[in-house]
Amino acid sequence: PSSHPPLPVFPFGKMRLAFVSSVVRLPNLRLKIPKVERPPAWAVFCVLLFSYMLVTGGIVFDMINEPPSVGTRMEDGKQRPETVMPYRINGQYIIEGLAAGFLFCLGAVGLIALHSVATGQLVLTSQTSEKATVVIMIAAIGVTVVAYNVVMMFLRIKLPGYLQH
Amino acid sequence: CTFYAFSKILGSLLTIMETPTLLLILTLVLIYILAFAVRLFSVLRFESVIHEFDPYFNYRTTKFLVDNGIYEFYNWFDPMVWYPLGRIVGGTIYPGLMLTSAATYWTLHSLSFTLELRNVCVFLAAWFASNTAVVTYFFGKEVRDRKTGLVAAALIAIVPGYISRSVAGSYDNEGVAIFALILTFYYFVKAVNTGSMFWCFWAVLAYYYMVNAWGGYIFIINLLPVYVLTLLVMGRYTHRLYVAYCTFYVLGTLLCMQVHFVGFQAVQSGEHMAAAAVFFILQAHNAVLFVRDHLEPSSFKRFLRIGLVGMLLLAGVAVMLGILTGYISPWTGRFWTLLDPTYAKLHIPIIASVSEHQPTCWSSFFFDLHCLVFLFPVGMFFCFQKLTDAAVFAVIYGMTSVYFAGVMVRLMLVLAPAMCVMAAIALSTLLTTFFKDLKRRPKGAKAPVEATPLRFYTSAAVVAGLVFLLWFYVIHCTWVTAEAYSSPSIVLNAHGSDGHTILFDDYREAYYWIRKNTPADAKIMSWWDYGYQITAMGNRTVLVDNNTWNNTHIATVGKAMASDEETAYRIMRQLDVDYVLVIFGGLIGYSSDDINKFLWMVRIGGTLDPSIREVDYYSQRNEYRIDNEASKTMLNSMMYKLCYYRYGDVQLEHGKPPGFDRVRGAEIGKKDVRLERVEEAYTTEHWMIRIYKVKPEDNR
Repeated sequence: PSSHPPLPVFPFGKMRLAFVSSVVRLPNLRLKIPKVERPPAWAVFCVLLFSYMLVTGGIVFDMINEPPSVGTRMEDGKQRPETVMPYRINGQYIIEGLAAGFLFCLGAVGLIALHSVATGQLVLTSQTSEKATVVIMIAAIGVTVVAYNVVMMFLRIKLPGYLQH
Repeated sequence: CTFYAFSKILGSLLTIMETPTLLLILTLVLIYILAFAVRLFSVLRFESVIHEFDPYFNYRTTKFLVDNGIYEFYNWFDPMVWYPLGRIVGGTIYPGLMLTSAATYWTLHSLSFTLELRNVCVFLAAWFASNTAVVTYFFGKEVRDRKTGLVAAALIAIVPGYISRSVAGSYDNEGVAIFALILTFYYFVKAVNTGSMFWCFWAVLAYYYMVNAWGGYIFIINLLPVYVLTLLVMGRYTHRLYVAYCTFYVLGTLLCMQVHFVGFQAVQSGEHMAAAAVFFILQAHNAVLFVRDHLEPSSFKRFLRIGLVGMLLLAGVAVMLGILTGYISPWTGRFWTLLDPTYAKLHIPIIASVSEHQPTCWSSFFFDLHCLVFLFPVGMFFCFQKLTDAAVFAVIYGMTSVYFAGVMVRLMLVLAPAMCVMAAIALSTLLTTFFKDLKRRPKGAKAPVEATPLRFYTSAAVVAGLVFLLWFYVIHCTWVTAEAYSSPSIVLNAHGSDGHTILFDDYREAYYWIRKNTPADAKIMSWWDYGYQITAMGNRTVLVDNNTWNNTHIATVGKAMASDEETAYRIMRQLDVDYVLVIFGGLIGYSSDDINKFLWMVRIGGTLDPSIREVDYYSQRNEYRIDNEASKTMLNSMMYKLCYYRYGDVQLEHGKPPGFDRVRGAEIGKKDVRLERVEEAYTTEHWMIRIYKVKPEDNR
């Protein structure tokens, strides 16, 4: 027997439906328009942070110019891998770019963690929470300092004359 | 009397605005002076000269405007460029920069400061950078609070990403355009915050200035619709947003069409369609809300279904009609590259060849922004925590400009203010939080207790760390400005073996020679990079210049440079060429010369004539060489002959053979270059510019 399944979208469907279903047997689709919920703020932030990491890591440059993921250089007649493309600001290897992007985000996350702990938004269930707060603060400072210094190290390899006249 | 009136007006203005403290005013004045002073390196090192290539065209048009007046300027047809086509300059430029300079020039002259036009042009960008810093203060104040604004102003005064295009001497559109951009955003955010049409009118005026100034106004007219849509989706729709956007769209589009270059593109081109679509969506949204207040829920649901389907159908039909009849033109190549970065590489070699259109590496990001790249996500996090409409705007502006800066290095300029504002949010929040622990006996019920010593020292360490970070930022920015972004490109310098500076002023030498030693109607053929400079300084007609609006003409020149002498001669006679100009850096090691650009000439010439193939110019081992391994086609090409004519006799130093090319690091392949159809007219002191005269036809 032909059925008249209620289609939720087309308001004029009933008339057309009657005509069509007198010719063919319509399938019984149990479709619902999915309800899209607003994503929570922290999820949106994570997506933005991830895309920031990719873009500042030079992924568009990688897509267009297709550099090798790690370069090679000759040293004492042997081939050695070279992570950072030296002597030019406008060139990079893939891994080098992604590593730098990751370090930018790492430094940012360190500062975010530092602030969250200091204002008590990141609360730990620990007995001596004051000490734990300070430990996390020091760890976050350490992470940020390390991230900054590694990026500076990369930059010094790329630009040997950095900060010299 | 006037001073008294002025102080009265100032006083009443100050009472309308929040009364600023003396410290605030002093800091802003210092930031203003700093932003100007840091951009003066090249003027102090060399002289007050206009840099690069594009600024020379801007200078020439400004000179025309000042000499002949506005109506002549708007109706100017220039026969000296793109011979034999000419260029309708009045209708194909963004006149904002020229009008600003001319207005400044006339104002100064009416006050008896008879500054030469060249000096006005050279210092305009630096002055507008100071203005941008002040406007960024207001923008930051609108997004968050006064502290953020102040930090943002301080950061943007010295950020290298902005300095690179606004250094004194760089007389380009972006110098005034970024000022207009931030001003538009400031007024628009203020309009959304207050819901008043008054601020929207100012936003529209600032937008009109932006459309006059730079083609990058497309960014504004697409960013604002994205912002409105995001607020709609987030459920933050208010009448303030409706008033602000509708006023802006209607008045903004009307004013946008008053610029000759834009004209009816504002309602026809695909790049403006997003704004129109969002305008209609806003009206529809408002209509639906109005109806909902007047119907029962069930009948409202039916109305919504019918209405939505009907509207979608109508919109679809309208868009289809528009595209099929050709009324709505698609996105142009330049802007399509931003959405699909691989497009230019495959389809339009001219766009792909411009060095500032290349995608960005991580090192460019860090080099141009230093610690701001770390602070940007932190600022975004704080925006998410205290979410207001203005904060959403800052986040959207930031993320879209990060993406576009990733696609094209040139757009780092648009990213710099966004980064400064976000980093300012981060810095001011962090410093505020950690300074609280450093205060003794803090007031208020929230923090009745002083911080423990452990907490005190950690907070002190954090504050000290941030201060150190800012100190490194200042050192980095000053070093980058001094070393990387203050070269005029028209005068080069190098350091001799004993440390003294050698200046290479070959460009101006060559152009002055052309000005003085060639007939007034001589036509010069060169690669398009140098067109603007030749017309501005040499005052002669050129075939192609940096405007690159006619690909076929450029391809013809490329074909002439890449072919052998006979074919090139035929093309040159066809185009009435009298002189040919090439740039050669082999003697001094200048790597931006025509031999290094030659492959682009081949590629672009190949789009016109398929018999010119790039592979023919590579050696047997598929490398681009100019020594004895170079291919036959390469050795016979016009470019090779023009660059290396007589170079085989030049011995640079004892260790090297004669004819050693310092840039390619090799001895040239063919040393006895013979020229039959051209003769050498002039070679500059360091062999950088070589000018050849085209000989007339043989007598038959």
